[in-house]
Amino acid sequence: MLPQKFKVWLMYLKLYKVRVLIAIAVIFLITAAIWGMMSLESFYRNQTLAMMPLQFIMVALNALIFVYMYMTLFSSRWGGASKNTKMKGDVVNVKWSDVIGMEAAKTEAWEVVQLIKDRAKVKQIGGKIVKGLLMLGPPGCGKTYLAKAIATESGMPFLSMAASEFVEMFVGVGASRVRGLFKKARELASGYGGCIVFIDEMDAIGRNRTFSQFGGQETNSTQNQLLVQIDGLQAKEENVIVIGATNAPEESLDPALLRPGRFDRKIYIDRPNLEEREKIFAFYFSKVKYDKSLDIKRLARKAVYKTPADIENIVKESALITARDDKETIEFRHVSEAIERIEMGLKHRRNLVPKEKEKIAFHEAGHAVVLYLLHPTEDVFKASIIGRREALGVVHHNPREEWFTHSREVLIANIKTSLAGYVSEKIKFGTTSDGCASDFRKAMAIAHGMVWSLGMSNAGLVGDYGLYGTTGHTSELAESTKEQLNKETQSILQGCLKNVEDLLKKEWNIVEHIAGELLAKEELEYDDIEAIFKDYGKIQTQS
Amino acid sequence: MRIGRRSLIAWRWFVVLLLTYSLQLITLSGCSPTYPKDKIKESIIRLCKKEYKLDVKVETVGKTVAIYLPLANLLDFTFALTPEAGEKLNQVILNVTRVVLSTDAKYNFYCLMAHDVKIPEIQIVIIKSVEDVRRFILGDISRGEYSKRMLIDMRVAPQAQKERAVKDVFSRMNIDNKWQESVMQDFFMSDPATLGDIGYWGGKFYVKDVKLDEFLAEQIANRFRLSFRDNKILGGALVLKLVKGVYIAGTQASGGSRYFRIEISAEPTTAEGFNSKTISDELFAFALKTSYDVIHGYRFEDYDYVEIKSINDGRSSTVLKEDLDNYRPKRTKIEDVMVFDSF
Repeated sequence: MLPQKFKVWLMYLKLYKVRVLIAIAVIFLITAAIWGMMSLESFYRNQTLAMMPLQFIMVALNALIFVYMYMTLFSSRWGGASKNTKMKGDVVNVKWSDVIGMEAAKTEAWEVVQLIKDRAKVKQIGGKIVKGLLMLGPPGCGKTYLAKAIATESGMPFLSMAASEFVEMFVGVGASRVRGLFKKARELASGYGGCIVFIDEMDAIGRNRTFSQFGGQETNSTQNQLLVQIDGLQAKEENVIVIGATNAPEESLDPALLRPGRFDRKIYIDRPNLEEREKIFAFYFSKVKYDKSLDIKRLARKAVYKTPADIENIVKESALITARDDKETIEFRHVSEAIERIEMGLKHRRNLVPKEKEKIAFHEAGHAVVLYLLHPTEDVFKASIIGRREALGVVHHNPREEWFTHSREVLIANIKTSLAGYVSEKIKFGTTSDGCASDFRKAMAIAHGMVWSLGMSNAGLVGDYGLYGTTGHTSELAESTKEQLNKETQSILQGCLKNVEDLLKKEWNIVEHIAGELLAKEELEYDDIEAIFKDYGKIQTQS
Repeated sequence: MRIGRRSLIAWRWFVVLLLTYSLQLITLSGCSPTYPKDKIKESIIRLCKKEYKLDVKVETVGKTVAIYLPLANLLDFTFALTPEAGEKLNQVILNVTRVVLSTDAKYNFYCLMAHDVKIPEIQIVIIKSVEDVRRFILGDISRGEYSKRMLIDMRVAPQAQKERAVKDVFSRMNIDNKWQESVMQDFFMSDPATLGDIGYWGGKFYVKDVKLDEFLAEQIANRFRLSFRDNKILGGALVLKLVKGVYIAGTQASGGSRYFRIEISAEPTTAEGFNSKTISDELFAFALKTSYDVIHGYRFEDYDYVEIKSINDGRSSTVLKEDLDNYRPKRTKIEDVMVFDSF
């Protein structure tokens, strides 16, 4: 057994053999040059030395020109070496405690870390060594962050590369880069006892291979090389663990990549829940100055379905708004504006005639009242008659908590909320406008889905009739059934319309009040809206 | 485990060690002169012997190095330098140049004296400024200019002439020969006073420490002589008999002034002679231009004026240093700077 220190030096020699050779060559050249100078008579030696500064400048200039030309002509897009391979060790420095908001994923990943650390023990027992770990989940949920934490925690070198960097127009370049990456990983592993290779956006090379004559060979060969490198025959088996990350669904990845022995473990990293969001908000707020009265719990409730990246973005945007507002600390309104800006876009003030403005105010007030009083799972976050993107007004709402399924009541509430603007316009002005086009589209789509696909019609029709359309067998669906389904769809819409009309007529004074406030202030926050309802003795519908 | 940091540390160590190593090599071996000042003579003799199998003698006087080179066939029957001798002279010059340039001793001039062993009275004396050689090697002056800057003279050794004269007198007066040596040592073989007295005779160097001022005066005369025939006006109208350049430094006779005196003796080839003012003016202008080229070529400042005398037509002119300074840069006309008088 070679001593560890010697192994490390040997690894350095292998890893940096070109540099070592260059260093030896430099020493030799310098010695030869000085030796040559020594043999010169002092006058000629001085003459040579006197010319050296100029020569240095000339050499540097030539080198610059050469490097520029080399980079221009032989950059990576022409198949040159990949520039973006990053080698990091402990310098990654993402501690396990820094990873917040993914407790389940962390627990699974911790097990992997232990397996990586206790590799020798696992081998001794005869257990299976983990070779790959695939992290799946929506973008911005911290897959890369978790991979870095694994690297730091396991204390191994970390090679990171995006899968798209392997992809080239020339067949073979991607495969060559995969070989290069794993060669480096094995060299590092020989010195440090292991190495982690992180491949981000795995789907770029990991999607199902195509076996057609019309292209795809480059991706195929890159993926084949990856498969071989992960689990192929090697002269010496080094402790190289591959961590892949992707937003793509698991089904879209090649089965060969997912089989045991390659990506043995799969960790699904989902969006954070309420408690995790609260921690994430607290973490990012700890890095900025914020008003201590700011209710982080409330913000976490508002940020349902938000990823850690979204939350980080909200806090950063809030800080920018605060700075522009010339304030020292972030207040709730700054966060509110940040969320609004991220979700709805920047405000775009249009010059509206008073009549149209009034119409928009009543339209949005209708939405707000129905949402507040009827919706079982959503909160009114803001009502506004300031234009954003295409919209002239908006009632922004947020789910109170994660719901991964939607009940009939929720869908009905969604339809009612969508129709409320139309009804409100009709009650107030006796006529309606084309401003409800998108509302109708949304309501119709929900009602259609309820009847055609979800078995939620009043007539008791069950089954997914939509399948007839997707499988190309529409002719098999009886005209009478279609007619019945469409009638049922209309029935739901009409029923909702009647309910909304009754509700708004009953609560018209609230609608008038909110519309008046909107005309006066243009925007109403959740607190303003809730205060109005409280004035009328109303409380929000709870699920 | 810190790859980046380790690599950085290794890189830093490598650079530090490389610099130390280079510095040591340079300081240990690269800064000493190749030919130390106390070994100048030996160095020249050794180089000539080792590289060209030539036996030379070397003497140093002040900041001047003198080299004596005896040769078998220095001159042919036309009294011209033989090619073989020319080559050997060049070889010695090259060796002397190498030594005087790569030594810590400060030498300003070197004189090479060569004579034919069969006719030792006839000598070739070459005087060169070390600075000229340096500038030529560094490409600061052209080859043509470099050749014009060296003084080459073929002459009968002054000491030989004196010896012959003394011997002749002693022989005619029938004086005991034991006094002959003493008289010659006391009166005729004294150290040379001018560049023209430099020579090697009777196994002894007659060398003086060459000064820049006298070197320049001699060079003005030499250049004038060399370029005279090429002058379109003067070459056809006059025959140059003599040109002499001296530097007079603050003597009582000169009233404490320091100046260059250029004396020209040229005879007209036509009946018109010096009556043509154009020719006379051209003679002075040519002498002035030559003086300017030489003095400014060396950036010599230690003089008050330049005096030019034409012996044949008795004209004389002096040009003040300030006027000579302005002559070329400000394109002053020759008549504006020259003050003529007759003597």
